[in-house]
Formats: sequence, C-alpha cells, structure tokens
Amino acid sequence: MTTTVLTWREVARVCLLLSAALLLISLIALTLGGAAIPARSVFAAFWEGLTQSPSSLSVEHRLILFDVRLPRLFLAMIVGAALSLAGAGYQALLRNPLADPYVLGVSSGAALGTILALALAARLTLAMPLAAFVGASLTTAAVYFLGQRGGQLAPYTLLLAGVITASFLSAIIAFLLNFLSASDLRGATFWLMGDLSGTAPFSLAWLALPALMSFGVMYYYAGDLNLLLAGETEAESLGVDVGRTKLAIYLAASLATGLAVSVSGAIGYIGLLVPHLVRLLFGSDYRLLLPASALGGAVVLVTADAVARSVAAPTEVPVGAVTAVVGAPVFIYLLRFRLNDRSSASATGENS
Amino acid sequence: MNPDRRASVLLEVRQAAYGFSHFQLQSLNLSLHRGETLAIIGPNASGKSTLLKLLAGLLQPQAGAVLLDGRPVASFNFRERARRIAVVQQESFLHFPVRVMPFVLQGRYAHMGPMQFETRPHQEVARAALLQTRTGHLAERLLQEISGGEKQRVVLARALAQQPELLLLDEPTLHLDIGSQVELLRLVQSLARRNHYAVALVSHELNLAAEFADTVLLLQGGRALRYGAPAEVFERELLEEVFQTELDVFPHPETGRPRVVLRAPEGDPKGGGPAALDPGLR
Amino acid sequence: MFATLMTTESAIRRLAASGTLGICLAASLPLTATAAGNQSRTVVDETGRTVHLPARIERIVSLAPNLTEILYALGLEERLVGVTNQCDYPPAARQKPIVGDVVNPNLEEIIELKPDLVLGTTAGNRRETADALERLGIPVYGIDPHSIEDVLTSIRNVADLLGVAERGAELDARLRARLSSLHQRLNAVPRPRVLFAIWLDPLITVGGDTFLNDLLRQAGARSVTGELRLDWPRLSLEVALELDPDYLVLPRTHSLRSRLTDLSGRRPWQSLRAVERGQVIWLDDAVLRPGPRVVEVVEALARELHPEAFPATEAARQ
Repeated sequence: MTTTVLTWREVARVCLLLSAALLLISLIALTLGGAAIPARSVFAAFWEGLTQSPSSLSVEHRLILFDVRLPRLFLAMIVGAALSLAGAGYQALLRNPLADPYVLGVSSGAALGTILALALAARLTLAMPLAAFVGASLTTAAVYFLGQRGGQLAPYTLLLAGVITASFLSAIIAFLLNFLSASDLRGATFWLMGDLSGTAPFSLAWLALPALMSFGVMYYYAGDLNLLLAGETEAESLGVDVGRTKLAIYLAASLATGLAVSVSGAIGYIGLLVPHLVRLLFGSDYRLLLPASALGGAVVLVTADAVARSVAAPTEVPVGAVTAVVGAPVFIYLLRFRLNDRSSASATGENS
Repeated sequence: MNPDRRASVLLEVRQAAYGFSHFQLQSLNLSLHRGETLAIIGPNASGKSTLLKLLAGLLQPQAGAVLLDGRPVASFNFRERARRIAVVQQESFLHFPVRVMPFVLQGRYAHMGPMQFETRPHQEVARAALLQTRTGHLAERLLQEISGGEKQRVVLARALAQQPELLLLDEPTLHLDIGSQVELLRLVQSLARRNHYAVALVSHELNLAAEFADTVLLLQGGRALRYGAPAEVFERELLEEVFQTELDVFPHPETGRPRVVLRAPEGDPKGGGPAALDPGLR
Repeated sequence: MFATLMTTESAIRRLAASGTLGICLAASLPLTATAAGNQSRTVVDETGRTVHLPARIERIVSLAPNLTEILYALGLEERLVGVTNQCDYPPAARQKPIVGDVVNPNLEEIIELKPDLVLGTTAGNRRETADALERLGIPVYGIDPHSIEDVLTSIRNVADLLGVAERGAELDARLRARLSSLHQRLNAVPRPRVLFAIWLDPLITVGGDTFLNDLLRQAGARSVTGELRLDWPRLSLEVALELDPDYLVLPRTHSLRSRLTDLSGRRPWQSLRAVERGQVIWLDDAVLRPGPRVVEVVEALARELHPEAFPATEAARQ
C-alpha cells in the first residue's frame, strides 16, 4: 500500500507529538515571568499539587504560579487553538490560502462590541467579553446574509462582504474611540492590539467548551473540506452536501474567532500561518490539519506569550506585537518560496 | 448480471426543461442504456453543459424529469447520488498540492461515513481504478507535476473509484493532444462496455464523437435537433446549418463511422474571403 | 468503527496533556482565599469600588507617578515598596523596586512585593489591572481626580486610609492657603484665552470636565476648549486658528519642544497669534500629574500670564 494515505494512526501520532511539544513549552513558559521562580520550584509545586503534599513555595509564589501564570497559559492555549482552527476553516471555505480569522470582519464586530461596552457599561467586568462576543456574532450573521448567493455561501461574495464589513466597522470604531474617556481609551487600545494579560473573570472551562464544540463541528466535516478544496461542483458530484458544509464551517470558524477575540483582542498571524506551517510539515488532509492546527496554534501562542512576557521584563510587550514581528517574515518566506510552487493548474496543466 | 439488466435503460430524460435569463433548454427526451455511450454535440451555448448538469443532478429540471433507474435524480441524497453518478469536469482547480493517490481516493467519499479514514478495501478500489486508467505508476506523484493527458486519466480514475453506474464527461479532451484524446476516449469506451456503465459525454470534437459514441444528440439553442446513431446525425447539410461553416462528411473507409472534414473556403483571387463562407453561395 | 475510536483516542491524548495541568489548577484553588485572609475594614474608593482593607497597611505599591508623589508628600515613603518606571519625582523614588509601566504593570512583580494595598488612578491605570489584582486577593484603592479640589480630596482620602490623617489635613491646608492667596491676587485680572495641548500634530487638547481644565481656570486663564465635553479632544488646525488663543500652553517635554520648533516655521502654525508673538508657555511636566505639585504649576502659570499681579517685593517670598 502507498504511504500517502492518511490513517488514524498517523493522526494520533502527530497529535501525540504536538501534545508533547505543548506540554514541554508550557512547562518552560510557566518558569518565565516577572517573578524569579526557579524551574525546580515550578515542578515541585505541581508535583505537590498532584500528590496533595504541603507546598515548599511561599504563598506569593504559589499565587503567581497558579493564579497568574497558569490561567494565562490556558488562555493562550485556547486562544491559539481557536484562532488556528478558524484560519484553517476559512481557508477551506474561501478556497483562499490568504484567509485568516479576521478577513470576514468578525474581529471588527467584536472590537465594536467592546468599545460600546466601554462607553456604556464600563463598570461591569463581564460586559466587555460578552459584548465582544455579541458583536462578533452579529457581524457573522450580517456577513452571511451579505455573502450568500442562491441560498448558499459563495466564497467570492463572502470575501467581499467580509472585507467591506470589516473596514466599515473599523471606521465606526475609530470614530467612537474619540468619545471614550482617557482611561477607557487606554484599555481599549491595549485590547485592540491583542493582549493576554486580562484573564477572563469567568472560569476557563466556559471558554474551552465552545472551543471544543467548534472543533467538533469542523472535524465532523473534515472529509468534506478536503473535497471542497477541489471546487464546489466537483465536491458536490463526489457526494458532498456543499451548502450544509459551508454553513457549518462558517459558523464554527466564526464561533472560534469570536471567542478568541472577545477575550484577547485581535492577535494576528496565528490563524493565517499555523495552518500553513502544519500543511508544510504534515500535509493538507483536514482530518489531520484540524487537530494539528489546534495543537500547533496552542504551541505557537504559548511560545509567543512567553516571549512577550520575558523579552522586556518587568514590562510586557503586547503579544500581538511578537506574533507580528515573527509572523510577517515567516509569511513572506512562505509566500515567496512555498505557496508559489503550486499553481492553480487546469486539468491539463502546462506539462503537456 | 442478467442480460436484460445489462442492456436496460439507466437514465431517462422526459421533457426536461431548464432555463435562466437568456437561455432555455427545452423539452428534451433521451434514454441511455447501460453499456451505451452517448455523445452530446452542438455549437457553443447550445446547452450541452447545462444538460450534463441536469443529468448529474447538479441542476433540477424546471419542467419534466430526469430519472435514474426510474427515480428522479433529485430524490437521491448527496452520497447516494455520488455512488451512482460520477462526473469528470473540464478543469480542476487545485489550490493546494495533492498527490494522485489521495486525489483518486476522494472518489470513495460517497462510500464512507463522516470522520472515517480510507481503509484497505477503499484503497484497493482506488488502486484498481488507477490500473484501469493505466495511471498506477503515478500514484505517488503530485497532480501538479504530471502531464495534461495523464491528469485527465487520473480524474477519470477518481470517477471510476466512485464505482458509479452512470459516467458523465464534460469536454474531457479539452487541451489534450490528439494522441491523448484518442487514448482517453478509447479507454472510456472500453470501460463502458466492460463495466456496463452508461456514459454521456459532451464534446466539441465531432470526429471523436462520431468514432466512439453509440448514440449522438445534436443540440442547438437548447433544442434537440437530432438524436440517433452517428450516421443518422452526421448529415452534411444539417451540420453545416448548425455550425455555420462549410463541411464535408464522409464515412471512414475502415470503421464506416462518419468523418467531418473542413472544406477550405473557395478563395476569390480578388480578395473575396467572406463571400466564400456565405452558405447561400454555392 | 476504528475511525471513531481514533478520534476519541487522539482527543483523549490531546486533553490529557492539558488535563494534568488542569488537575493542578483544581488542587490549588483554595489558595486564592487564604491570600486575602486578614481583612479588617471596608471602604469605597473614588471610583465606586468596594475595597476590603487589612488592619495594618505597611506595604504599598503605587501604580502612577502622581500617587508616588502623594505618598512622599505625606511622608509615607518608608511604606512604599513598589513604583512604576515613570515614577521619577522625587528622585529618591527611582530607587524603589519597579513593577512595570503604568498601563500594564507586571502582576507577578506586584505579588512578589507582598503589598497590603495598591494605589491606582483613573488618570493612568486600566480597570482590567485593578480587577486582576482584586481577583488575586490584593486590595486596590483608586483615585479619580477631575479637578484640583479633587486632588486635594484624594490626598486627604489617601492620608485617612493610611492612618496619617493629620498630615493629610496639614498638607491640604497648606496647599489651599497658597491657592487662596493666589485667588486673591488674581481677583480682578482679565482672563486671557489659552490653548493647552499635549500633542501638536495631531493637535490634542484638553476638554471641559478635566483636571487640567480646572488647573487652567485656577491660574486665571480661560481654556478655549473648555466647552468641549471630551477628555482629550482632537482639534483640526483651522479650528485652532479660528479660536486664536492668546497663549499656547504646553508641558515641557523634550519631544514637544522640538516639535514646536519645527512647526512654528511653517505656514498654518505661524499664523497663530500665540506663536507669532512668542506667547508660548512651557510648564513643568508635573502639570500632567494630579498630585501635590499641582499648586506650584498653577502658580507658575499664573505668574507667566499675569506678571502684574506679582509685584517684585513678594517674588522673594518663594
């Protein structure tokens, strides 16, 4: 039998590999931060937690480890996974390798929700993420209606609708920023740049749940996505329910994006690049690409956040700046050397 | 398979019509038997591709019916239909690199459930399809790297992997050199005969249609002008009228099938090119 | 069938990795409660938050330069254990441990300093920072000054909070005395029209209900942007030309000085009356800090605007 056929063993193998990488990078990330906690103490603390033995760390160090670094680590994992999943989904839906989670305007909707929440209900701590999520959902619905043709999502129209909506909303945001008070403005600008320092007040399980749902839905349609990439008519003649697949992916990817953006602002380059890197390493089959992108995204964002926290200690660089500084050159490299190899070849190609 | 079934009607089109703003496909009737190859010919914008989409179930007729084994094609669910009808399109747009074997395995989608992987039985079917189209040696190659003719055969292999009963081809020989064209159609014909597929193919290549098809349907402006054996359809006056150009039609000395040949326009030495093309002048 | 097992398997493996860490999180939850153990009294801060304070406040972290100055002015520098990287007055403050910048201080550094109380201000810090610290069991008291009166109140509030009420009252009285004597001098003088800007291109000025607007008013000036309701209204140059203030008032930062030098050579800026006549007043950048030095700044501005109200004999009194 050939080696290029994907098996569940291969998927499991890759996931195990990436999970191990995630575990490793997580442990390293937990040793980094403004407070100098030696690595040994970090491991000791977890071991003690597991075995329920008395802790060898000071109260402050335990507090830092479990209430500052650990929640932030989980947040980075979930946001990184969500953004990568959304990026992979949109790239298939739009059949465009340049698609990222923000191209359809979802993040602008979330940002608008946040700004409005700040302007109107700033005192409620839950208001911001909730409003962001509502903003993202409304934008998703609006772009869907604008982007459909003949009752189905048409990639070209969808892309146009998304880009126009995004720029429209950004204009409104710029306008509204003028009316925020100084301190709210500071908070808004910080959030807009992409920031993981505000760990959500509600339990992280509430974030993980929708993220898992989104993954579940997308994975169910993973086989369909593989075929969708070949073209909609082809996919349909191969047996794919194209309309339902597109809608499901659109909703799942937008859910993941809305989720990520409402808690951490718009962190760039993760959703765009992680799926491509995974494709380079492991191939384009979505049954592998989806879980690998999720895990890969978690690894990348945890790493980026660790860098953001340590490179200019005790101050912190916004994590969006780190992903941009690293992501842009990587993107240019991919564009120049990798994505240009494959052409949109016709059935007869040029090698006749 | 009992002999009756072998020759039975698989696909039936009754008074099917489909139209949009500036085009109407009108009241078509045809029936296709297992093992039979039908060629659909006609000038541009005569409705060939639209008809093919109707046969494939990609479009629903606005009037009349397209029946597969007596059931309207629209009544099949997506996977069911793909197990019975396979389509080979004109062009494939590949946005991401893909190798031949996984590409052909896509044909097995209709035989699998969601989240499943292509197990050994599926792989065997795909491999058999590759062998039937003589592309087995290309299994590990990137689709983007192989030649046009090879690629068309791979696309055909994918269609075969669906194990369909009806095979539809839309201009399968576009962009191919003449050797590859003949090779492909010969392959299609032998597969149809051997596996008892019903085949309908749309083509611009009149001679290939004449040589390889059992029946021919000539369309013009959405209407069926003639439907029957190649010799019946390939009539000089009819073809000249439909294609608006001077032609000669001769039976091939060996196969007996009609051949369409260009007649060079009679040159008026004083520069009367256009005049020679006027069918009224004879 | 094996395929469905596969998905479950890889999913399980995926979750197992983070699950291990998750168990640790669950096991450590009781910690947050114990950290905020010794609560004693409850107050409401100037932003309306309820703050639970410990009985003794020995270790204080300041999250803004003006708060640092207030603490030094109240003689509480011994209890100050952490400042921001912008806390540069008095110079001794630079020697204190730094917890990061004003907008995004490092939570870990703050925790390590074991503060009993963290002081913040709406004029610099984010709500999210205060929320995060509260969640970690560290009380945060925020001040919200919109006028000089508010600043004086904040000084007294902070003093009361930290058990030095009498020093607070004394500082308050001293500052008020200076202000009231200033008011007497400026009683009948005409009020020139001024434009205060913190940035020149784009032109960002100060609006009505702000601390700076009050400062300008107390210095005997009238802000041309005093009617605007935004905190930091951005003006187009033509509006500034239309308003044509008598004076341009700017904080003395290096970047603004060079910027103005560049701009005053160019057309639209040249035509501003204030620039033409060189009526540009530079104030110490303490003007941007709602703190104890505010009164000095007001006096300095008043002197520049109304030299006639400050006869030579009394100039020596400073």
